[in-house]
Amino acid sequence: MADQITDEQMFSGSEILLKSLIAEGVDTIFGYPGGQIMPTYDKLYDYQKELRHILVRHEQGAIHAAQGYARAKGIPGVVTVTSGPGATNVITGVADAMIDSTPVVVIAGQVATHLLGTDAFQETDVIGLTTPITKWSYQIRRVEDIQWAVARAFYIASTGRPGPVVLDFTATAQKGKAAFNYEKCNFIRSYHPYPEIEEKAVRKAAKMINEAKKPFLVFGQGIILSGAEKELQALVEKGEIPCASTLLGLSALPDGFPLYKGMVGMHGNIAPNVMTQECDLLIAVGMRFDDRVTGNTATYAIQARKIHIDIDESEFNKVIPVDLGVLGDAKAVLPMITELIEKKPREDWGLTSTICDAVEKHRVIDPEIHPESGEIHMGEVVDTLAEVSGKNALIVTDVGQNQMLGARYSRFNQTRSMITSGGLGTMGFGLPAAIGAKVGRPDRQVCCLVGDGGIQMVIQELGTIMQERTGVKIVLLNNNWLGNVRMWQELFYDQRYSSTRMINPDYSQIASAYGIRYRMVDKREELREAVEEMLSDDMPYILETHVLEEGMVFPMIPPGKNVNEIMLNNDDWFDYGE
Amino acid sequence: MENNEHLFVVSVYSENQVGLLGAIANAFTRRSLNIETLNVEPSEFEGVHRFTFKTRTTLDKVESIVKHIEKKVDVLKAFYYVDNEYLVKEHDILASYIDKHKR
Ligand SMILES: Cc1ncc(C[n+]2csc(CCOP(=O)(O)OP(=O)(O)O)c2C)c(N)n1
Repeated sequence: MADQITDEQMFSGSEILLKSLIAEGVDTIFGYPGGQIMPTYDKLYDYQKELRHILVRHEQGAIHAAQGYARAKGIPGVVTVTSGPGATNVITGVADAMIDSTPVVVIAGQVATHLLGTDAFQETDVIGLTTPITKWSYQIRRVEDIQWAVARAFYIASTGRPGPVVLDFTATAQKGKAAFNYEKCNFIRSYHPYPEIEEKAVRKAAKMINEAKKPFLVFGQGIILSGAEKELQALVEKGEIPCASTLLGLSALPDGFPLYKGMVGMHGNIAPNVMTQECDLLIAVGMRFDDRVTGNTATYAIQARKIHIDIDESEFNKVIPVDLGVLGDAKAVLPMITELIEKKPREDWGLTSTICDAVEKHRVIDPEIHPESGEIHMGEVVDTLAEVSGKNALIVTDVGQNQMLGARYSRFNQTRSMITSGGLGTMGFGLPAAIGAKVGRPDRQVCCLVGDGGIQMVIQELGTIMQERTGVKIVLLNNNWLGNVRMWQELFYDQRYSSTRMINPDYSQIASAYGIRYRMVDKREELREAVEEMLSDDMPYILETHVLEEGMVFPMIPPGKNVNEIMLNNDDWFDYGE
Repeated sequence: MENNEHLFVVSVYSENQVGLLGAIANAFTRRSLNIETLNVEPSEFEGVHRFTFKTRTTLDKVESIVKHIEKKVDVLKAFYYVDNEYLVKEHDILASYIDKHKR
């Protein structure tokens, strides 16, 4: 058979790559060309109908856009870049995708195999650089290996706990010739993405839940990655278990779901943080006890028995010792537990959340989103956006105060509505990720919340928006500071504002240079109408809001404190007695 | 948690993939652990390599390292022992693993 293949049935390695991508269902690539990937870009010219290539303005933009695309759509994002600087420019996003479990496949050009190790022009050790921050990385040296490597890449990136894969694609392989007969990968003997669920562990979990008087469940992005939103609802409803989300779990449950108590963590809601310290059973699902969630690990939920349900065994006992680990995919595990739990009267601790919610509303939320006078508050902008969009917008944030207030005051009706850089906290993530999200989900209203610091890290991507006419709504929350760092300097560094004051450019001129509609708002009375105008069509838009310069984000669990040691403002701490 | 340090043997069975030694060794360096001895050799199973590390650390840390290493796509199995524990069991576990995960 193989020796019967004629010349016409032979394809270049570059073409084989593109055909392989198409076979994997890819129709969009984010990228940037250059020397060692040119053979592939040349072939791309012939495949413009099948593969839409989005030309970003910096490779960091490509990887973040692919992350936004993947998280909005639930399938891997694809990036093509050149060798050397092209590859090193995606490193931040690869690390971000690793820690936030985002499926992306990066294809980077590489010098010809005979030049490897010679410090050839634009040669860099991409495998060495990316191994610690990828789920898998592989150098394709021979044209015969392309299909195998691509098939494995997609299988690994998208199954189990998803993550980034890097393919280091040598010019030798790109230019070689071989036949094409693509086979998807669904088996690797050393890799078991969906571990068998141990019934014994499931029974034990159900028993622990049935014995609990005050169970409390905290879920993370695992629910969204697994598509287990309904299964989660069914479990907590049957067990009458109050629950809360991590930053990355946001939007898995719809706003107003009765058992949902809000977000845990440093700037989370008071009730779920306090409940963490009062429950007798903590059930953690698809989350990894980040230190922004646990505060002081020595005291975190110290009084409670703990169950950890996760698809990644190495998460068990990594940070918080647990009584029981249940290994498996949430979508499969949760219904098995639900079936075994009893509907039971629980000790009434509704009062805890009622008190906490009342204090938070009165002391924190109302002053943030309904201030009576003074400048516009960041939280107020986020709240207005939630209201005007009917809680339907897909929110992409950058990092900093815009992110924390975005997480606190956005409200969501549907899942996959909050995309933010959680584990790495990458400034510059927001704008390109929003582009990717909008490309992936053109049917949705995509709004990017970003600070004046973060937008300037990637402001060149306005060029991508201009060229592609991507209808992203950019809400620039301008406080003329690196706000989050300024806030920490105010609270923890004696108000010594070292290098956080920022002089801003005239954003109206920037917007007009890129031909993007723009409006500035600095008066409360105009805010709502401006947001309405922004959301009235599907064109790109920059809404610059001049917000309170010295705004703060509260409540706050200062780093290293117990999760029930919560600041309400600069001077006051949360106290039950109130 | 147990806080006593012991000399542990960590043995790792993997596919024969370029770059894996670095990836596995990195699991130790990331946790600031010294590798006291290191040996790499083909195992008695075809196409499977064995890496043997010795490192001084606590039980908690070695458990977490082994889970982390086993998570790598090309790693079949990883084990740990206190230095002078008997190693023969590995052979049987590997044999049944390879048997079970055939296509
Ligand atoms: C790449 C990167 N560099 C530095 C930081 C540290 N950092 C976190 S928040 C922040 C300030 C962000 O300021 P801005 O973008 O204006 O947003 P704001 O906090 O004011 O909403 C900085 C510098 C980071 N998270 N990422």
